[in-house]
Formats: sequence, C-alpha cells, structure tokens
Amino acid sequence: MKKWLVILFAALFVSLAFAPSAFAESAPPSNFKIGSFTQVDAASHTATFLASDTGESTTIRLDDSIAPADVKLDDKAMVSFADVDGEQVATEITAMFFGLTKDKLIALLIVGLVGGLLSGFIGSGGAFVLTPAMMSLGAPGAVAVASNMCHKFPKAMVGSYKRFRYGQVDVKLGLVIAGSSIVGVQVGFQIQKWILDTWGSAGSDLYVSVVFVFILVVVGGIVFKDALTAAKKHDEGKTPKLALKLQKIKIPPMIHFKKADVVISAWVTLPVGFATGLLAATIAVGGFIGVPGMVYVVGATAMVASATELLVAFVMGFWGSIQWSMAGLIDIRLVLVILAGSLFGVQLGALGTTYVRDHTIKLVMGTVMLIVAISRGVKVPVYLAHLGMISLDKNVSNLLDDISFWSLIAALLTAGGIIAVAMVKGIVRARSEEREAAVAGSA
Amino acid sequence: MSKSTKKKPYLRAVLLGALSIASYAYLFSNVDQVMENFVKGGVYSALPIVTALYFSIVYGAFASTVLSIVGLQAAAGSGH
Repeated sequence: MKKWLVILFAALFVSLAFAPSAFAESAPPSNFKIGSFTQVDAASHTATFLASDTGESTTIRLDDSIAPADVKLDDKAMVSFADVDGEQVATEITAMFFGLTKDKLIALLIVGLVGGLLSGFIGSGGAFVLTPAMMSLGAPGAVAVASNMCHKFPKAMVGSYKRFRYGQVDVKLGLVIAGSSIVGVQVGFQIQKWILDTWGSAGSDLYVSVVFVFILVVVGGIVFKDALTAAKKHDEGKTPKLALKLQKIKIPPMIHFKKADVVISAWVTLPVGFATGLLAATIAVGGFIGVPGMVYVVGATAMVASATELLVAFVMGFWGSIQWSMAGLIDIRLVLVILAGSLFGVQLGALGTTYVRDHTIKLVMGTVMLIVAISRGVKVPVYLAHLGMISLDKNVSNLLDDISFWSLIAALLTAGGIIAVAMVKGIVRARSEEREAAVAGSA
Repeated sequence: MSKSTKKKPYLRAVLLGALSIASYAYLFSNVDQVMENFVKGGVYSALPIVTALYFSIVYGAFASTVLSIVGLQAAAGSGH
C-alpha cells in the first residue's frame, strides 16, 4: 500500500507543473457565468444578474427565446451568453443544481454501482452512461461532465489500487500513456475549438457523433471478434500480430514494461497515449481507445491493459477535476451519491477479473462499445435535422432521443449481466476446486 | 491462519461504516453552505477534490471490508 501511494503521489507532484494550463479529456465552457437573477423586467426583456464570482450586479438583456416569467429569482443558475451587436445577451439559463429527490438518489446509486462494476472490470471510466444519466435527471451538461470527472478519479484510484494488489497494473505503462494522453488532449482541444468555430454547435455534434460511431463500431467489432475467436481457440494471452510487428521496431528509447511483459520503442507507445488523449478531447472516447491501444498496438494482455487504464483514468480524471473545480462546476452531492454505489462496484469488478480469462474482458468491452455505438448512431438524424439537412418530426426526434438513452442503460445492464455471470461461475469453480483440494489433502 | 478460520473484520467494518455515515450526514446536513463554498473556484477548488479523496479512502475501505465479510474476495493466488 505504501509503495503504491508513494508512486502515485510522486507522479501527481511531478505533473503539478502542468496543472494551471492543462486540460484532461474536456474543457469547461468559457462563455458562461454562474450567479442568480434578483430582478426581472418583462417590459424591457432584461434582468438583473448577480454574478457569484465578482458579487457584482449587472442588467443584462434576455434572448427572445427566454420568457421573463420563466426566470427564477434567487436560484443559482448557469447562464450562457452570446455577443449580439456588441451587447452580451443571455441565451440560455439552466438551474445549476437540481433537487435530489429519493427517486433520483436511488437512480444515481444504481447507475454508480453498475458503472463502477464496469469500470473495475474493463477499465473504462463510465462517462458514456454516467454523464447522460446525470443530464437526464436535470444537471446541465457542463455540471454533469464536471461531476463525473470528480467522481471518476477517486473511483479509478480505488480500482487501480485493487488491481495493482492483484498484480495486474503496469505502472510504468500507465504513467507513459497518461503523460502522452495529456499532451494529446491539449492538441485535441484546439481541433475541437476549430470544429466548433467552423461548423457551429450542431455541426460539431454531428461530426463528433459520426466519428464516435465509426471508431466504436470498428474498434468494438475488432475487440468483440477477437474475444469470440480467443474463446473458441483457447489461445488466451496470444500477442496480436500488429503488436508483434511493432515490437520489432528497435528505435530507441526502448521501454521495458515489466507487468505487460513487453519491450517496445517509446515511438510506438507515446502515439497510443497521444491518440487516446486527442480522441478523448474531440469525441469523448477515452478508455475505449486506451485499452484496445494497449492490447493491439503495445501488446499487453486485456487483463493488464484494463487494469492499467484505471491508473490512466485516475491521472486524467484528477487533472480534469482541477480544471472543472476551478470553473466552479462540480456538484459534490452528485459525486458523493454516485461514489456510494461505484466504490462498491469498482471493487467488485476488480475482484471479478481474478476469476475470468482474458477473452471475457474483451467480450464485455466489445459488447459495450457496439451497443454504445448504436446509442450514438440513432442521434445522427437528430443532428442532421438541427442542421436543416433533413426534416424530422418532433415525435420521431423524441423517440430517437429515448432510444439513445435506453440503449446506454442496455449497454450497462448487458455488461453488468455478463460480468455477474462470469464472476459467479468463476467463484463457484474456484470454491469447488478448493473443496476438492481439501478433500484430497485430508485423504 | 487459514482463510476459513481467519477472523472477519466486523469491528473495522462497524468503525468505517460509522465514520462514512457520519461524514455523509455532516455534508448533506450542511449542503447549502457546502454547495456555496464548493463552487467558488480559486483556492476553494481544492474542496471538491479533497472531499472526493477523503470519501474514496474512508468509504472505499468500508466497501472493501464489507465485501470481505460477505466472502467476496479475489481468487486465491491473485496477490490480494
């Protein structure tokens, strides 16, 4: 435990130098303010806004889409602004922190538990389901992303610690991937900004969704097929052909990743991390690229890759949380409620990996990626309609939104089911073997 | 001591559970003040980070102990 903590905090302190300007996986939005409205003037369509950070009150104009009667007074809100003819106009008002009812509490606990189970097992952060879940309960998008980030890093810390104890984490590989990912994220943000400036919000959503679906279908399909082949042929832990070829590249510096049992050039490893960070910043895909990257490019087993990804998730999540916390967007209530479920789930998922073979981890990962691809794919017509490229009936649009959301829940439940069945089978088999050994020993 | 005769850490679970419940209760009973301070940014940015770390250590240890008590542990030979 002590050695683990020393390694972790040494890595954190070293990287503190990058904190003020570093982003991890996503950046807080910039053209918004947090505060509350103290007065509304329906006649002039203006309102008095008290900003939380400065304590100053200013009179601002409300966009035509905002009805004065809908503006809640003295309620902390996130207000987006646009520059209209040199004047700052409030274009969107979202309540910062929704009321936590009993139903929402239970929903967050369950989503946290199953999401944690998935994280502990395949290394994915779970953002693909947790962020939409929080948004569907009423959190603004930025608060949902920020709160998920702040929940992800402690969950990943606990999960990676457990899997380190099980001998599965390659710390050096994790830190190399995390470091190069952070660089990739900085570049990714510039690309994301260019896309947003060039195509606007709807165009950006369309681009992100198309690339997201393409990557998840291709990579998820490869992982899924590989899982089925490995299960059939019983060739666990066989190094993929691509990784074998890349390991032959002897350009120094060569790095020996002990736990992964791989000696490979840094010129192969660093781009894996860089690409992970780049894609995380542009299309919000982190672990779904990192784990396959470590398996098929570097040559680690799925067991080591998924465990190591938790270390990467901890580092990335920690730095992302600093940025989002500085922007004042973390809803600590959501963080702690989700952690109440996920800290159980992640440890269950982690110990579950000790009862299964490599191909089961690939099977769960591939399945989740393909279902999530469907979930995002059905939203593409909605974005096309927003751009005016097709016309879509409002009922159809709402139906597609519902299909998208429930597909995410299906992904979570399917993965949870596969993990639970695999764990139960593994535990039953292990206990049966223990009993037989005890009987043979006493005979 | 063999696995089957090893004492279960009930006292540890009770203590960690009590600390976890007390921590959650304290935070949620002062939620308005907590939320006011936790979104101020600047030096207050450390508050959500430190809080999340604290709960992950205390409550995470509680969760680990409970799983151990109910018999859910890593497979033998996995170094746990």
